[in-house]
Amino acid sequence: MNALKIALLVAVAVLLLVVVVDRMREPAQMQQVHKSLERMAEATRAQTEELRNLRQVLEARPAAAGPAVASSAPAAAVVANDPARDGNPRLGANFLLPYDRSWHHREWIGGNIKTIAASPKGLNPLTENSAESSAVYGLCNDSLCDRPPTSPEQWMEGLAESVVISDDYQTYTFRIRPGVRWHRPVVCAGKPEFAWLDKDVELTSADFKFTIDLIQDATVDCPQIKVYYEDLAGASCPDASTLVLKWKRPIFTSLSFSMGLQPTPRHIYGRNRDGSPIPPEQVGVVFNKHWFDELRGVCGVGSYILESFEPDKVMAFRRNPAYWGATLHFERLEWVMDLKRPDPQLVAFKNGQIHSHGLSPLQYKSEVLDRKEPRFAAADPANPKAGRAGELGWEKVKGLSFRYLGWNMRKPPFDDKRVRQAMSWCFPKERVIRDVFFGLGCPVSSDVHPDSQYCNRALKPYGFDLARAKALLAEAGWSDSDGDGVLDKLIEGKRVPLRFTIKYGANNPEADNMLAVYRNELKSVGVAMTNTPFEWKELLRIFEDKDFEAIVGGWQMDWDIDYFQLWHSSQANLAKSSNHCGFANKRVDELAEKLRLTFDTQARIAIAQEIQAIIHDEQPYTFLWSGEGIFVWQNRAPAGSTEKDRWLDGVTKGLDTLHPLVNRSRLFWHFAR
Amino acid sequence: MLRYILSRLLLMIPTFLGILIINFAVLRLESDPLDAEAGMGGAKGGEGVSAERKASAGTKRYENLIDRRRRAGNDLPALVNLRGFLTKEDLVERLRRAAPGSGLKDSQRNQIEKETWQLGAPAVRPLAEVLADPALADLHGPASEAFSLCAYTTLYQADLENLGADRINAIRARNDRLQKQVIVYEPAARGTRVTDPQAEAKRAAMAELAAQGDYARDRRWSAILLDTGFSTFVGRLFTGNLYSETKKRYVFELIAERWQVTFWLNITAVALAWLVAIPLGIRSARRQGTLEDKTTTNVLFLLWSLPSFFVGTMLLHLFCTAHTGQPLFPNRGLSSEDSLWYSTPGYLLDVLWHAFLPLVTLTYASFTSLSRYMRGNLLGELHADYARTARAKGCDGDRVVYGHCLRNSMITMITLAAGLLSELFAGALIVEMIFSINGLGWLLLDAAIQRDAPLVMGATVIQVSLLLVGILIADLLYGVADPRLRSRYG
Repeated sequence: MNALKIALLVAVAVLLLVVVVDRMREPAQMQQVHKSLERMAEATRAQTEELRNLRQVLEARPAAAGPAVASSAPAAAVVANDPARDGNPRLGANFLLPYDRSWHHREWIGGNIKTIAASPKGLNPLTENSAESSAVYGLCNDSLCDRPPTSPEQWMEGLAESVVISDDYQTYTFRIRPGVRWHRPVVCAGKPEFAWLDKDVELTSADFKFTIDLIQDATVDCPQIKVYYEDLAGASCPDASTLVLKWKRPIFTSLSFSMGLQPTPRHIYGRNRDGSPIPPEQVGVVFNKHWFDELRGVCGVGSYILESFEPDKVMAFRRNPAYWGATLHFERLEWVMDLKRPDPQLVAFKNGQIHSHGLSPLQYKSEVLDRKEPRFAAADPANPKAGRAGELGWEKVKGLSFRYLGWNMRKPPFDDKRVRQAMSWCFPKERVIRDVFFGLGCPVSSDVHPDSQYCNRALKPYGFDLARAKALLAEAGWSDSDGDGVLDKLIEGKRVPLRFTIKYGANNPEADNMLAVYRNELKSVGVAMTNTPFEWKELLRIFEDKDFEAIVGGWQMDWDIDYFQLWHSSQANLAKSSNHCGFANKRVDELAEKLRLTFDTQARIAIAQEIQAIIHDEQPYTFLWSGEGIFVWQNRAPAGSTEKDRWLDGVTKGLDTLHPLVNRSRLFWHFAR
Repeated sequence: MLRYILSRLLLMIPTFLGILIINFAVLRLESDPLDAEAGMGGAKGGEGVSAERKASAGTKRYENLIDRRRRAGNDLPALVNLRGFLTKEDLVERLRRAAPGSGLKDSQRNQIEKETWQLGAPAVRPLAEVLADPALADLHGPASEAFSLCAYTTLYQADLENLGADRINAIRARNDRLQKQVIVYEPAARGTRVTDPQAEAKRAAMAELAAQGDYARDRRWSAILLDTGFSTFVGRLFTGNLYSETKKRYVFELIAERWQVTFWLNITAVALAWLVAIPLGIRSARRQGTLEDKTTTNVLFLLWSLPSFFVGTMLLHLFCTAHTGQPLFPNRGLSSEDSLWYSTPGYLLDVLWHAFLPLVTLTYASFTSLSRYMRGNLLGELHADYARTARAKGCDGDRVVYGHCLRNSMITMITLAAGLLSELFAGALIVEMIFSINGLGWLLLDAAIQRDAPLVMGATVIQVSLLLVGILIADLLYGVADPRLRSRYG
């Protein structure tokens, strides 16, 4: 009887639970229905727009075969006919490479690709300063000019059809591409209160001027961008398709900040929620907390339109049917944001929920080299492309960063060039890359990547040669006079042993291992090194106070090189400067200043290579390697895309034809733009 | 009883405030958001400005940051504000210590410099006095920089709505003017050296600006306690205006969005743990010393010694990974992507399927402690005189245990349960991390890493309140479990 009562009670409880949960789910279901309806309406509208777009193009060019299928032949012809348009900056004429559509195949379009991303905190185009929000604007907006993915050190047409630089590199005159239209923001679509936004708005030069005005407005909260445009005298737009940027002085960095300028939608950020214009003196302050940001909207002119954004869950983008240029081939991109730790990320990739991902050195070791995941093809030292064959593809890719050991040149023993050189000869670079990083690293001899056009390849790298190190130390006056196994030297009447402490970031097992190897090598030449790890915050203080003898550091490299920040002597004793080793060399100072004023590519390469030669000889750093990563992808096509081999074809083409240093993370590596 | 409850409730107020003050102070000590926001660390970034440019570029850069800090109430001292009592001598000392060659480390000098910049309106008068003194010419550069930042007027959203366009424009013109008055200087071997040819004119202009502004000191007494970071925080807390600058959302809105996931996961885990552990403890106690008791004890301790991040990761790799075919359990979230359209029983099963491994990870370790407590307490009671008497009277085993001893042995369990309520709120961080569940744990970890003070404090307030309520409930339950306590408090 008791058992029956209990069973009855449980049954009633379960029934109640089902009823309650059923009621609770109803609103969410209704909301979903509404959303689906909105999305359908939006898709219909987008298709109509694409049709209209195609019709317009066809009407404009009755003889041409089609709008986006245009082959690369005409572009190539222009380059061949016009050697001046080689993408390298010069005065008085348009030098931009023609826009390249050759990689785009209209019939390949389709598919919904999912990748992992971090959730952007906000989506304001200027006041947000995170990598995540710039990635969003990389997809949804365009800049005046682009770096072509096959040769990112040159410049190509973008929203500007041409640029003419005059007035000794102080005035840039851009011709804006006609017929480019702003997205209709999805967050506002279909809402009666935003009916005023439901129209086509064409991009004009005033949108660029609007951006510059915002950046230069003291009340706009974008200190990180403001610094770059401090030397800008101002922007003007003589007509709707002409933009003139005037700089106060000719400095090379102004080039990329001019060319890389993105427009801000004046028809949204210049208006109140009800569509009325904001008084000009209030635009700056209102901009910091604009209604459009509260709606989490993004409006650009780029190849993808933000479709939805749920913070920490998912962000989805839809291909822009009205895009003026060539888009990626995916119909939809989805950024998955709820996977935040390496382990769950890897599992999600293996389960097919994510289409492309990156592996850490340890994951690479266990999953690929130790074959824990049999669906990855085995590594083959003879064939760097062996990883493409498996059910899950993998390939090693390069990155634009490097690591170094920095020597404090302000005090002995590292004030002596020979000691620093000896330290470099003692570092078994190849062995550490092989054993500690499982081959993920490309040895470098300077702060420029070997694949960069600026790299001085004539420099003879410091190999691993203990005999040479010993000889150099002996030459510098270091000998083991007391027989304790550690070299010493008489400095200002005192016997000083060659002992030092190297500082580095904690919680980094690879650095621990690397330094353990190095310490053993140093010991065999009579140098005693102690390694001490520090928490990140404390390490920053150490850099700030230059409070070290030796330190492990790393820098991110850039396409445009600048030697001022790291190596100019004026930076050596400045608080918070980046020249923390105290490097000072008159010739480098001269050259670094000259480099900032030189725009001609060949001249810049010559200067950069001379600086590298001096730094190579001085060895303020022992340059270690540039980071490499393992990128992995599903070797089966994402749902809804066209045939499998086309997707794979796209991946391999992306890996093969791009400049080796172009970032392949997320999906930019697939037909990267 | 009512008096008892009332007295407990009144006692909660100082406890609550005390916990808040300590938390706030620790958070303030720990973080320096200005540094984090400026991204000024030595290792990366830095834009390579020359000393001369720093004077102008730096100021503009900091104006925005200080603006942001003022909006968040972070520019004020944490608990006690004595800025109204600053004198010219105090400022001279600060400026001297921040200057090159003062003997302090760069990081300390930078810290002092930044603190001086954030002193705000109370420092304007003393700084003007420094600038008026020709004998202190070596400090005029940094003093003018600090002056322009302290006298800078922040325009809040409310100001924009309420002040007229003329007034707003006047404030902005004044801010612009302030910025232009910064005297260009360069660091010297000791101190700084003014290199600006217009220094005299700028000093005169600044004296004029200082005289114009309303920097009255009549509020300095009330400001000591009322104009502090803590009072700002409490004010915003009670008006519901706590705003997270890093997430760009109101704190309670963020918490409201996430608490449910964590709450349901935790409450199920707690219910499971207690439902399994208490019978297990009772059974163990009644079979003390038998093979069954020893096996249970050993197995439970084995489980207890495995850290949950390890177990969770192992479960994820073993049962949730598709090496070949479908994995046994899902690897992320608490429901399938399309579960919204399942039938309700199907949906419940789906949730159960998703929650199974997270629940295992959450509960397995607590079986041990709970069942051991239960076992120990019950054994103590079973050996007590009254239990022996009951047995002698002829009560059977069940009646002795459930009728007499169990209630007495629950006192410790009630104490343990007091903390449960607050644990329910945010106690599943590791599970959320491993099984990619978007709960409160993540949110708060993120907030702590990013030193998002309002969010951390908002969560602390809720957690502390829940803890106090939990303790109150436990106190009441003691009375229910133990008549002696009940009679003492009436």
